[in-house]
Amino acid sequence: MNRRMIGRLIWKDWYLQRWIILASFVGGAISLAIIAKGGKAGFLVGLILLITVLVSIGAQLAVSTIVQERKEQTLPFVMSLPISYREYTASKMLGNLAIFLVVWLVMVVSSLALLAYPWDPHMGLIPFTAIMATEILLGTCLVVATALITESQGWTIGAIMVVNLAFNFFGYWVAHIHNIANGMESTKLMWTSSASVLLIGEFCTIALLLGLTFFFQSRKQDFL
Amino acid sequence: MNELAVHFEGVNKRYAHFTLNDISLDLPTGSIMGFIGANGAGKSTTIRILMGLVRQDAGSVRVLGHAMPAEQTSAKMDIGFVSEDMRLYGAATLGWHMEFIRSIFPKWDAPYATDLLRRFDLKAEQKIKGLSHGQRVKAALLLALARRPKLLVLDEPTTGLDPVARREVLGELMAVLADEDRTILFSSHNTLDVEQISDQITFIDRGRIIDSADKEIFLDRWRRLRLALPPDAALPHIPGVVEIGGSGRLPVVTTKSFEPGMVYACNDSGATVQAIDTMTLEEIFVANVQSRRQEQIA
Repeated sequence: MNRRMIGRLIWKDWYLQRWIILASFVGGAISLAIIAKGGKAGFLVGLILLITVLVSIGAQLAVSTIVQERKEQTLPFVMSLPISYREYTASKMLGNLAIFLVVWLVMVVSSLALLAYPWDPHMGLIPFTAIMATEILLGTCLVVATALITESQGWTIGAIMVVNLAFNFFGYWVAHIHNIANGMESTKLMWTSSASVLLIGEFCTIALLLGLTFFFQSRKQDFL
Repeated sequence: MNELAVHFEGVNKRYAHFTLNDISLDLPTGSIMGFIGANGAGKSTTIRILMGLVRQDAGSVRVLGHAMPAEQTSAKMDIGFVSEDMRLYGAATLGWHMEFIRSIFPKWDAPYATDLLRRFDLKAEQKIKGLSHGQRVKAALLLALARRPKLLVLDEPTTGLDPVARREVLGELMAVLADEDRTILFSSHNTLDVEQISDQITFIDRGRIIDSADKEIFLDRWRRLRLALPPDAALPHIPGVVEIGGSGRLPVVTTKSFEPGMVYACNDSGATVQAIDTMTLEEIFVANVQSRRQEQIA
């Protein structure tokens, strides 16, 4: 693996996506401020806004760094550089995940900190929040993998829709798992084995997705 | 030192509606090859295989001594590539692109890049989306040339340009190449462009290479002979006949193996050579393609 070239390509995507990254930080900060303001309505509005910001940046990154690169014919420029398609795949996976994880980590850590806020604690929501935040990460990985493997705008948009729908169904299902739902209203953290199993399952699925993406990409014969 | 910059041997690539067939091609170091073919003849597929972007089904490809596509990363360190379908990032400036390429290629020649900026009448601070098509082609050429590649691959760089921009790009390219010793593969369906730049010519049609030689050999050996035959006389034997046109007693014979002695041979057999027409590269290409297609049908 040509690590230097992978690094250069990741840096390129960071530079070209800098306004999107900035916009998502601004959006995230506004949502967190609304949540911090307190009240049930504020909490819900802020939460929905925060989820929207995270889902949007994941989708936007996949579309603009992978699908648009092919559509706007900048891919031949990239592939004329001393890089193999395997390294291109690595740069896109790592680049997208790195950008997303920076935003995601800041937002998730801030959200968890707000839930643990000592004057108005909602620690019971921490397991549910962690599971759903990881679900957004998983969804982003799925969208990036779909964009890379299919190289198609249609399939990528389809994956974004599936991820959004799945998020709602998954959230509903998790909120009704007995030993997770029981602790959600509590001011104290109640971590259960169900939460652990779900989180481990999500991270395993992410690892599987990344592995499958490299597997399918390595079988491709033609890159343009 | 490897004498061949590019070596294709028995390369095949099959698609659903197109097949690249048994491509064997040598490009010696230091030469400029014009790669001519109609749209859809297989030029871009061949070049993509050369660049390691498409994997051949069969055959071997070596570029600058590297096996392709396996060693494409090393090979592409010394290749400058510009293609008709290549775009730069519209939201970034040309200066950003230059800095990006400089950070990748250690041989990036900053004074030369500055000189090219001036010669191509470009400004580093211009955003790519604000450039005309001709300026974008020049920007891509600048990025390819200033990395000082051993091999320059130009895949239809002048396609889509208006006549003025095409002339400008070609003029600048020729001026740049005049004082350089590079190996260049220049593909185009425009024979005039290729004729100006190349010293070797390869014709490709329907996925097959149909002819390849020095440009001067093509221009020296391809001729149209306008003959006048006496009544009831047969057409004399002329080597390398590709096409016979004209009327019965006034045939026009196109040959790919012309030599002055042919005139005497025709006269000896009773025919009169009324004129010997030289042929442009375009005429040679068209006659070559048509005769090969007729051979395939036969």
